[in-house]
Amino acid sequence: MLSAATFLAVRSSVVDQAPKNVMANIESRIVKGAGGWNACYHNRVYGPRTAAARRANPDSIISSMAYDVSNGPVRVSGFTWPKYWSLSLYQQNSSNYFVTNDSQLEQSEFNFVIAKEGDKQSVSGGTIVTSPTDKGIMLIRRFASREADMPAIIENQNAMYCGPA
Amino acid sequence: MRYLAAILMSVTIIGLSGLAAKHMTTAALTDENAIYNSFEKTESLWLYSDKIGGAAATNVERAKVAIAGPLGLSSKEAVYFIAVEDNQGRPLLSSCDYRVTGSSIDARWWSLTLYDSETQHYVPNAINRSSWNSAAIPKGTNGDWVINVSQTSKQETWLPSQERGARPFELNLRVYNPSAETRAKIPNITLPNVVRASC
Repeated sequence: MLSAATFLAVRSSVVDQAPKNVMANIESRIVKGAGGWNACYHNRVYGPRTAAARRANPDSIISSMAYDVSNGPVRVSGFTWPKYWSLSLYQQNSSNYFVTNDSQLEQSEFNFVIAKEGDKQSVSGGTIVTSPTDKGIMLIRRFASREADMPAIIENQNAMYCGPA
Repeated sequence: MRYLAAILMSVTIIGLSGLAAKHMTTAALTDENAIYNSFEKTESLWLYSDKIGGAAATNVERAKVAIAGPLGLSSKEAVYFIAVEDNQGRPLLSSCDYRVTGSSIDARWWSLTLYDSETQHYVPNAINRSSWNSAAIPKGTNGDWVINVSQTSKQETWLPSQERGARPFELNLRVYNPSAETRAKIPNITLPNVVRASC
């Protein structure tokens, strides 16, 4: 009885913790590349990369940010990419709790603010998205159908802002 | 003394059960052959799940996806189909050549990517190609297309598999922003046909 209960409790804990560990690992890589939390980190290479995450999509050029809203809301802004652009947010258990794309926005300029519940009042400008957890990951995907897209994508990346709101 | 022995035995049981549970659960979550166990098989033998990235996923499903392919989009934005078998139900192996044929998919764009099933990463190759996408793939007048999967170089639309041996691989079809009509038919939309050409 004691053995079975322990087994089930540990199993549940391992399963629950696994996506959080994966998220923490990816966040630490993004933080290292970006120079800190709440900063943009860009992939600027076309095609498959050995350093990419498991089963990454080589046709999607990623900009990412490991965010932490415990000290206040975080803004991500810039311009969409016409071939396909999406912004997705992942909470600490790895669930994709928010996603939008360029065809759903009214203009090519975007401005989103990630905030924890209760912090909405302190933000001016931008569409506010409430994060279920203090930490998480923001991803922007741009469709690169060919390598010739890269100079314009890098320009698009350079026009982004990630940081305190 | 008797109480002490009982306590020691209980602690030992808890410790061993905990270690066993941790080891067995971790092994089950990371087993590359079990990643897609909870996916459903479509009529054309592609595997599909609408729970990738979604809140409806169970803890086990979420953990497996996080380990094997983190940060997937929810099915609201993109849908994923996986082929680990050809159209006859035989495992995809790098020792065989395959002809993957498809037609237009009514969506914003799609891409077909090859991954080594063991490493769960891209297959290194001389032309640095692991995928074809809907904009780059040459199409016939009807929108039909062909991708040639093989170890050795092909003249047209080559998608390289592992250079040596008979190693398992998978094809991952990502469909971004499917039209309402396509979405209504998912998962039984017309998916590419994976045919073993030679072995």
